[in-house]
Amino acid sequence: MNSAAPLLDVGNLTVRYASEGESFTALHDVSFTLQPGRALGIVGESGSGKSSIVGAILGILGPAAQMQGNVHFENRDLATLTPKSRRAVLGKRIGSVFQDPFTSLNPALRVGRQIAEPMIWHLGLSKAEAMNRARSLLGDMGIQEPVAVANAFPHQLSGGMKQRVLIAAAMACEPTLLILDEPTTALDVTVESQILDLLEALRQSTQISLLFISHNLRVVKRVCDDVAVMYAGQIVEMGAAEYVLGAPSHPYTKGLLASLPILQAGSRGLRLPSISGHIPQPSRPELGCVFASRCPFSEPACNASPQNLTTPPGSHQIRCWKALSVGSWPAQVAVSTVAPKFRRGDALVNATDLRKSYKAFGGWAGWRRLLPSLQNARSANSTPVAVDTVSLSLSPGEVLGLVGESGCGKSSLGRLILQLLRQDSGSVEYDGANLGALSSKALQNFRREAQIVFQNVGSALNPRHSIGEALERPLVLFDLVPASQRIRRVEDLLSMVQLPLSYRTRFPHQLSGGERQRVAIARALATNPRFIVCDEPVSALDVSVQAAIVNLLADLRDEFGLAYLFISHDLAVVAQISDRIAVMYRGRICETGPTAEILERPQHPYTQRLLASAMYENPKQADRVDGQTVGTAHS
Amino acid sequence: MTEQGLIQPRRKRRRLPFALLAGSVIVAVLVILVLLAKLIAPYPFDQFHIHDRFSPPSLKYWAGTDEYGRDVFSRVLIGSQLSLTLGISATVVGIGLGVPLGLVAGYRRGIFDELIMRSLDLLMAFPPILLVLLILVVTPPALMKTAIAIGILSTPYIARVTRSVTLDLMSAEFIEAARARGERDWYILLRELLPNIWPVLMVEISLRVVFAVLLGAVLSFLNFGVQPPSADWGLMISSGRAFVDIAPWISLAPGLAMGVTVLGISLAGDGLRELMDPRLRGQR
Repeated sequence: MNSAAPLLDVGNLTVRYASEGESFTALHDVSFTLQPGRALGIVGESGSGKSSIVGAILGILGPAAQMQGNVHFENRDLATLTPKSRRAVLGKRIGSVFQDPFTSLNPALRVGRQIAEPMIWHLGLSKAEAMNRARSLLGDMGIQEPVAVANAFPHQLSGGMKQRVLIAAAMACEPTLLILDEPTTALDVTVESQILDLLEALRQSTQISLLFISHNLRVVKRVCDDVAVMYAGQIVEMGAAEYVLGAPSHPYTKGLLASLPILQAGSRGLRLPSISGHIPQPSRPELGCVFASRCPFSEPACNASPQNLTTPPGSHQIRCWKALSVGSWPAQVAVSTVAPKFRRGDALVNATDLRKSYKAFGGWAGWRRLLPSLQNARSANSTPVAVDTVSLSLSPGEVLGLVGESGCGKSSLGRLILQLLRQDSGSVEYDGANLGALSSKALQNFRREAQIVFQNVGSALNPRHSIGEALERPLVLFDLVPASQRIRRVEDLLSMVQLPLSYRTRFPHQLSGGERQRVAIARALATNPRFIVCDEPVSALDVSVQAAIVNLLADLRDEFGLAYLFISHDLAVVAQISDRIAVMYRGRICETGPTAEILERPQHPYTQRLLASAMYENPKQADRVDGQTVGTAHS
Repeated sequence: MTEQGLIQPRRKRRRLPFALLAGSVIVAVLVILVLLAKLIAPYPFDQFHIHDRFSPPSLKYWAGTDEYGRDVFSRVLIGSQLSLTLGISATVVGIGLGVPLGLVAGYRRGIFDELIMRSLDLLMAFPPILLVLLILVVTPPALMKTAIAIGILSTPYIARVTRSVTLDLMSAEFIEAARARGERDWYILLRELLPNIWPVLMVEISLRVVFAVLLGAVLSFLNFGVQPPSADWGLMISSGRAFVDIAPWISLAPGLAMGVTVLGISLAGDGLRELMDPRLRGQR
């Protein structure tokens, strides 16, 4: 980076959190600069410390944090400013947009008011002037009807619209720096791509600098000039985006890029490359290289001393002493299996014309049910239809991918098939039996054979049950193994999902997200099921962990002949594991077909749009890193 | 599974929250005093010392004497038995009624929810003292009856907290996982939901004990609770009222005892919640 006066200069930033006598280091000696008009991306997985950087810059780390180092913005040290002058800088010169557009706006205030507020406060505009400017800002953000949107309340807007509003509010005082913390993570791919277009346009028209925090490498690569890759509180690699993400040198960056699923039909024998293990416990910092325990290239010398950021000749900053000599990340593992043939005739699951709408619940609706005469008073059209006449079938051992954006009804469909929700009309057949007609006793057998794995690793396990108890319960419930052998079976299950046996006595909060998902999968496997609904099983996980879980699911499918209904919003993930894909849009399945066919010859316009946005993120397969070290000089 | 497996890993690196430490010390001292009240009390609670009427706190009478020359400290000690028994038994009644109602309302939703919660709203809207008085007036006073009456009054509060926690938990995926493996309702209620409700309920429970002690005192004060010459904090405050200008200690001593009890129980409740909830751990 050159020596012109930087807009933002973060030097030797170290952040520690102390709680209950334990302290852990969230950031360790982080330094970077951001030049005016540039965009710097900070990428890293959860726990890498990237959000602490934002917290340190904005001064919102909280009382438990101890901060060392300095943050200079426009040649002023933010740490030494009085709270009052700090506020002036933060609101006026630095705009910030946070991850969740759904909770970042005050639901009680009209949108225009929320954009106008900082201008009245910081720029001293009158209310009318500020409202005028708010409307024109909304227009700049690509909103078609700025006047109507300015008068709307947040709940009346879609997620993408809200994110545009938040960006408008951040831009209101014409800041020189815009901090974006995971701005597109909560959005659907099609919307994400529109927001990224907007950011690019803003950079063109206003010369604003961006500090862009994200876990999504592809998004960062599209938006940013420079990239810093964070791991366990340290920057491990930093330089121009095209080199860092195009031809990475640090093993961690290589691993991250290799773990990204490609948008192509996976075959049964293929597994994704992945990074084993997880981020080291922040309370126990490693002696040498922080990544050594997960690095396939590590050798004893790596553990000798901490690694420093260095700039090898003709390259960018790397925190790895042997960066220039490591090869490419270990490639996909191919397991030789014969792709099974599925005959439509003997379907395991057969759903016909399923329909489900959600009725208003509680309050008056509850009382109305008491008085049947009042029921007709409710208009029939007011109930939203979540699943609208959907039919699908699944053969034994087959993986059917179900893709669609949030709110399209894909999760409801999964729950209908498992009969966790009752359909309004239509039927589900399992193994030839109509589930709706079964007695509750006969349904118990279906409950044993059909299981579910959820998205939210935080709530999938009961926090008050140990892992052993969680895994043992299905065995007790269905009386699958004699009491004396239950512990052995629990240990078998743990080893199936590649967890240490000692985890039997642990509790969910002591496990990382990926480990919890493994336990949830083990719990589903405990009953020897034949069919598992995987509802966004990897969406809440980091990229490196994601690949490992998809591989695990594929291994288990091959080992036990499981059939999956694999629900996800991420087409690339679905493509990796599915034999067939069903695309869902607004409660209906708009297209079904073999994975390769859907990817190559999508018929329905929505599928084409979905594919186009996914492609945009993932333009060419040549993009994939093949580990060549780049000799071209850049600095 | 083994109870040991349940407890061991949680105990390991936990430090007791300060509130729990302070609260449990207070509660422990109180319990000891209550149990040993007869031994510790320097005088029988109903012994008259006619020559020492209205004597201020001194080495002879630690908290002074009342209008009959009875030792106030001894009476506070003996009175603690009645007050705390009332507070705890009333809360047990409240938990026994409120927790199941709240659980069912939150779990079943729909009509059950509406019927249960609206009836409890009705109960809550009724002036509490009037309700207890109604119950007590028609029958002769007895401690357990007062406890049940106050327990019924506590029910809506406990049920509401239980219901709201249940509603929150119902959207958790481990509940859905339990339903997906065909667990019976009672298992989900007792094994999946209930253990997660206690930590949140702890604070409400401590408030209810406090409320019951206070309401018991109010009832005695109104002469509907414990009858003279029994020692009861509320009764003592009530009868000391007439002499508050010349002998304030008669009312102050039981008032202070009540304040310390209330503080101890609230602190312990707060601390217990922090201790029992793994999610709250390490937030301070």
